[in-house]
Amino acid sequence: MAIETTTHQLPYLGYGLGLRAEHYESLLDEPGNVEWLEIVSENYMIPGGRPLVWLEKFRERFPLVMHGVSMSIGSTDSLDDGYLARLSALARRVEPAWISDHLCWTGVQGINLHDLMPLPYTEEALAHVVDRVRRVQDVLGRRILLENVSSYISFADAQLTEWEFLAAVAERADCLILLDINNIHVSAHNHGFSALDYLDGIPASRVQQFHLAGHEHSGQLLIDTHDAPIIDDVWHLYVEAVRRYGRVSTMIERDDHMPPLAELLTELDYARALATPLMRVAA
Amino acid sequence: MSHLQALQQHMLQAVLADKLPQPRELDNDRRADAARRLAIYRNGYRVRLRDALATEFPGLGTLVGRRFSTLLDSYVEAHPSGHYNIRWHGAGVAAFLEYGLPWRNKPELAEMARLDWAISTSFDAPDEPVLAAADLADVPADAWANLRLSPQSHLQIISTHHNIEAFRRAADRNVKRPRLRRYDKARHLLVWRKSLTVHYRSIEVDEVSALTGAIHGEPFSALCERLCEHHGPAEALPLTASLLHQWLASGLISCRLLN
Repeated sequence: MAIETTTHQLPYLGYGLGLRAEHYESLLDEPGNVEWLEIVSENYMIPGGRPLVWLEKFRERFPLVMHGVSMSIGSTDSLDDGYLARLSALARRVEPAWISDHLCWTGVQGINLHDLMPLPYTEEALAHVVDRVRRVQDVLGRRILLENVSSYISFADAQLTEWEFLAAVAERADCLILLDINNIHVSAHNHGFSALDYLDGIPASRVQQFHLAGHEHSGQLLIDTHDAPIIDDVWHLYVEAVRRYGRVSTMIERDDHMPPLAELLTELDYARALATPLMRVAA
Repeated sequence: MSHLQALQQHMLQAVLADKLPQPRELDNDRRADAARRLAIYRNGYRVRLRDALATEFPGLGTLVGRRFSTLLDSYVEAHPSGHYNIRWHGAGVAAFLEYGLPWRNKPELAEMARLDWAISTSFDAPDEPVLAAADLADVPADAWANLRLSPQSHLQIISTHHNIEAFRRAADRNVKRPRLRRYDKARHLLVWRKSLTVHYRSIEVDEVSALTGAIHGEPFSALCERLCEHHGPAEALPLTASLLHQWLASGLISCRLLN
């Protein structure tokens, strides 16, 4: 596949999916319109066995990117050197187009909560994260992407909005942004801010990738579950994002209630159909 | 301690605490109060760990039945997770069941957990090229006595007083739960991976002895001596040859010959 370069000097990959074991065989047999795949890094940071054999098959067929859930970039614990060494080793094996993780913390005091805990959007937290992103990028020898998380709590002493915080991290640490459109929708609903204000506050030059996903309702709140089709409100927000940022590599995340691959391919076609006319206008 | 550090530690405690606290740092609004919001993270932590452990311990789930969730919850409450990979929180389950009340009163639980965990860790253990019978064809006759075999490093031997493998098999095949049987003497199960598939089978005490000797780097002659203790000298040599043939066919022996 011809890879086109964007202003970020990273390739534009088109439309992809998160690689999940349930679709290993069908993705190799009938990949349909899938142009690239995103792997969950931790699933392949292992010594050997079947997952690495599958990984090699996909590496031969698709451009891959690595997406982690455990870097804990915002934690006040020390950076996990062992984790970063394994991540680096996997990157040497996979040769991904890029590596991403989340703008959050996942544990402290040596205890892992296995969740994407939001940070307080303060100057102190900003300086802390910027320093750690720079150190991680030095270890990996490349710029990373950070993803906005869905959140259900916010902190009373916040000095910045979430989008101001994300934009400032990207600018000061010179990293890129993985914008999860569903997460913006979920957090906007849960905290009562405008999703469009969020999009307006993110510098287009930093946006390298979009995530699209589904969520569920829990009382008055929305929960980011990746277990359902993408809803219309998130599609509308995706259109707004494409209008603002232009052509950005886009993929669908599905982690639970896994449908047949064909269903995800249909969603991917829909994303392409929504975005392509807007890109023509922008061009 | 920085403000951020204190806040993260407080949030950690709020997620792990038995009772739902009312953290002052969090915003409330008309949509949901802080406690309701925090509960999402508290529940998520427990559900994620419970689900991950249930995936790693299917035999234990079949053996325990309806109390499996209670067992997993008690483990998670007693042992916060320390590894970045959620699956690795399973490393402490067998020890918890062996020493923690009330579970230690049922020793079959710890045995079952050990078998499940051995299968799980064999799944993605390091790949090692295996030794084939043809690789030994050129070994001179006078070199056999000092030949050292190298079993695959992920290979595990589990001792049990119960028919735990029947529960694992029932879980894997999604068939009816078997009846628990207790053995008079300890029996043994061998867990290993051949190519990409994990296997387990019963292993008799003489084979346990010979395989343990090989794991410890003992030469072929010492493995014969170990079998002599069980069968006498006349039968030991052919039995050793038979075991070697079986080990090679099963992919138990690594290409790493020690001499």
